[in-house]
Amino acid sequence: MLILTRKLGESIKIGNEITITLLESKGRQIKIGIEAPPHITIHREEIFNLISEQNIQAAKLAEIEQGHLPNIWDELKKLIP
Amino acid sequence: MRISTTRFGEIEADESRIIDMRGGILGFEHLDKYILHRQDEKIPFMWFQSVNDGATAFVVINPQIVKNDYYPEIGNDDIALLEIESVEDVVLMAIATIRSNPFKVSANLRAPIVINARKRLAKQIVLEDPGYPVQYYLTTSQSPGKQENTGRECDRNEECNTSAL
Repeated sequence: MLILTRKLGESIKIGNEITITLLESKGRQIKIGIEAPPHITIHREEIFNLISEQNIQAAKLAEIEQGHLPNIWDELKKLIP
Repeated sequence: MRISTTRFGEIEADESRIIDMRGGILGFEHLDKYILHRQDEKIPFMWFQSVNDGATAFVVINPQIVKNDYYPEIGNDDIALLEIESVEDVVLMAIATIRSNPFKVSANLRAPIVINARKRLAKQIVLEDPGYPVQYYLTTSQSPGKQENTGRECDRNEECNTSAL
């Protein structure tokens, strides 16, 4: 991990398309501004991990359960109000 | 063109059906081309099949079938990225987690796949609203006044973490 120390208002450039700026600090929270091209997605790490893990699990289960989809749907239909 | 898949063998699909991901499915960023494949007309589940990797496919479902008042907010940056010009361009798909116990079948309402059907562009967006669960159980009651299985009970640890975010 590259570690840099910045003051509020200062920035960091990653490649030539991404700029990270320290905007404000309040207690233990720091407001960070990020400029990046639209094809680069930006997420809080814990959300990114949560969604990726769900996607990976969904893909795995899709493989296991694919033959049972019609039966599972039959059961679901009875249970959905 | 023919798309080789591990589940369905070779699928014949017109090139115009190919959807380009602008920002892939989280965890699968290396895959950027998919087709929406309806394997069975009798069920609402469809397949979001990777064109790059025949072994990767997701079960998806129209989230409005799952939750009839699902109207997620799509930010302006994503509207621009997906070149969306009108609401008619937009098709939403939620990735479903399928299990043999129907009470455990869920749809990811927190991170829908937004598709511009006209331009064949898509992205999995993550909604800011923590009220939409990552695991929304399809058996959740949709009518107010009925006993609700909100899917956010804290004895299932994953729901607790989700609603805390």
